[in-house]
Amino acid sequence: MRGRLDRHLTPYLFVAPFFVLFAVFGAYPLLATLWMSLHDWHLINGDGGFTGLANYSELFADPDFWNALVNTLSLFVISTVPQLFIALGLAALLNTKLRGRTFWRAGVLVPNVVSVVAVALVFAQVFGRDFGIVNWLLGLVGLEPIDWPANVWSSHLAIAAIVTWRWTGYNALIYLAAMQAVPNDLYESARLDGASTWKAFWTVTVPMIRPTILFTTVVSTIGGLQLFAEPLLFESKGASTGTGGSDRQYQTITMYLYEKGFTLFDAGSAATIAWVLFLIVAVFALINFAVVRRAVASR
Amino acid sequence: MAAGGVFARRGVRLAAGLVAGALALTGCGGGDESGGEGEKITLTVATFSDFGYEPLVKDYMAAHPNVTVKLRVTEFDQHHKQLATRLGAGAGAADIEAVEEGYIPQFRQSKDKFVNLADFGAKDLAKQWLPWKWEQSLADSGNFVMGLGTDMGGLALCYRSDLFSAAGLPVERDKVSALWTSWDEYFAVGDRFVGSGSKAKWFDGVGNIYQAMMNQTPYGYFDTSDAYVGDSNPAVKSAFDKVAAVANKPGMSAKLDPFSQQWNVGFKQGTFATLPCPSWMLGLIKDGSGPENAGKWDIAKIPGNGGNWGGSFLTVPKQGKNAKEAYELAKFLTSPDSEAKIFQNVGSLPSQPETLKNPAVLGFKNEYFSNAPVGEIYAKSGETLQPNYRGTRDADVRPVFGRALARVEQGKQSPADAWTQALSEAGKALGK
Repeated sequence: MRGRLDRHLTPYLFVAPFFVLFAVFGAYPLLATLWMSLHDWHLINGDGGFTGLANYSELFADPDFWNALVNTLSLFVISTVPQLFIALGLAALLNTKLRGRTFWRAGVLVPNVVSVVAVALVFAQVFGRDFGIVNWLLGLVGLEPIDWPANVWSSHLAIAAIVTWRWTGYNALIYLAAMQAVPNDLYESARLDGASTWKAFWTVTVPMIRPTILFTTVVSTIGGLQLFAEPLLFESKGASTGTGGSDRQYQTITMYLYEKGFTLFDAGSAATIAWVLFLIVAVFALINFAVVRRAVASR
Repeated sequence: MAAGGVFARRGVRLAAGLVAGALALTGCGGGDESGGEGEKITLTVATFSDFGYEPLVKDYMAAHPNVTVKLRVTEFDQHHKQLATRLGAGAGAADIEAVEEGYIPQFRQSKDKFVNLADFGAKDLAKQWLPWKWEQSLADSGNFVMGLGTDMGGLALCYRSDLFSAAGLPVERDKVSALWTSWDEYFAVGDRFVGSGSKAKWFDGVGNIYQAMMNQTPYGYFDTSDAYVGDSNPAVKSAFDKVAAVANKPGMSAKLDPFSQQWNVGFKQGTFATLPCPSWMLGLIKDGSGPENAGKWDIAKIPGNGGNWGGSFLTVPKQGKNAKEAYELAKFLTSPDSEAKIFQNVGSLPSQPETLKNPAVLGFKNEYFSNAPVGEIYAKSGETLQPNYRGTRDADVRPVFGRALARVEQGKQSPADAWTQALSEAGKALGK
């Protein structure tokens, strides 16, 4: 009797912690945020009355929101696309018979485990206007120094560099794991057919790890749309309001959320942004999912 | 990429907050219902930089063996944002929370989350502070006392005497003070400085200069009845125009954001010759410039009127279990005796007339700043300064004008366009 109960109950007990944690940290905040977004909600004072969809119509009429959305997509494209390509190349290199392989493999993950605050400090120096390394290098080839945070394109490039630096190694390791699962005989037959290493990479490796590539694309998309810490820390310390520069030139959606909620104490608007962002991410995830299904089916 | 990005991290923070809250609840659950004498209690004091409380707290604990005091220090912005979320959540705030002058209007809108210190007799202490400092802490037409004043930020102007000497300007602090009475004269001396061919710029950046000028006005973006006047107050327009005119002028601005890493590098490399410096900034200047620049900085009179920038208040959030004891501790930490000690330890300028006359304060000299008699300079500036009224929604509007000047400084906009955009952004922020 006890044994049977155990067998029936134990599995549920094992999965229960996940659902409890999900309910507390996933479902509850999601629903509470939805509730807040329908109200005029002050961060400290709380509910200031039901306003229906007023927060949403205000948000869609707000040029700052569209500016933040465009910035987010721009940063997403210029940081994710090169990042995944570099990661792929890096993984291919790590998959060869390198001397000190473990060292290199562990090494590419280091940028990812360094505290993002430290990373931001270092990159603020690298992209400094007066004494930065990049401007110094530009000066060596006779170019004018650039005030990196001041302009749209330069701030986006600098932030993309931080993001790429942090996350390339992480993606490379995922690719590496997938590459190691590719059966060796495929390479052998490719070699017998006279394929070069380059050719074998594109005709054997890449198609074989396609599900992994799609996985990293999905994860990168979700992460990229929520880009927050890197651009926030790119703001100078005295002005960490989440505005993203003198003309909001690098304010992302999550920074806009932060500005509304934690600088202006307007939690209702912040909750609205959170929900709109959630829906945008969901749409992107669905598109990705459809692509994944087709890609897997086509194999 | 940023797998799980913000939300994972925020989750962690939330979890930590919950755990801390739970611990605090259980920690306090031990029987403080009666709150009687001799019972062991713990009081937490949260501040955002070194308030110089450590030695004072030791004395306090020695005199009150039943009280344990813990100090919690966080970075400026984070401190106030955390306080806001903790007040909103109803748990996690310290027993005593420091609130800076600039944040007071925002928190005044949530005064119900704070203990009215008048209930403990704070009004009897009113005479202890300079009248304007006391009034800043009031709400509800004087019936509600939000906090007890700590320091204030009388304005002065710090300058590099070595760069002045190289540019052929006087170096002695009285002579430097005599160079200007108005900001126009200050900028004119700047022209002379730039004309001398110095590699350094005249001032650090428009952010500090504009802030100092705005703090010399009786009121800025809101008049004393709290109506928005940012678009009509001539003082705002005049300060904006004066700063905008020099923002992108060659040699004038080092174009640095105050408190940024680049700003610190600017101190070390000596890339600018002057900056407005409230008393609390001296520590930052010293840390940024480093020992190799000791004796190069000196302190002169600020152009324009006296003014105040900064200074804080100790508040007691309602969620704390030991409000009365917290008030007693806050009272001790802001007493004239304590403020005099704090000034000598960390240089925070007392906001109390009696303390400002204390010989130990008046006679205090700062070795790093060429032995400038900082006690005398700032005490004088503190007694004559005219306080600046900040409207309830000041924090919504103030940054908008700062960003406009930054755009001019970065060469992205003309002063006129920046002003127009600032007015429309400010209107939008206020829902007009």
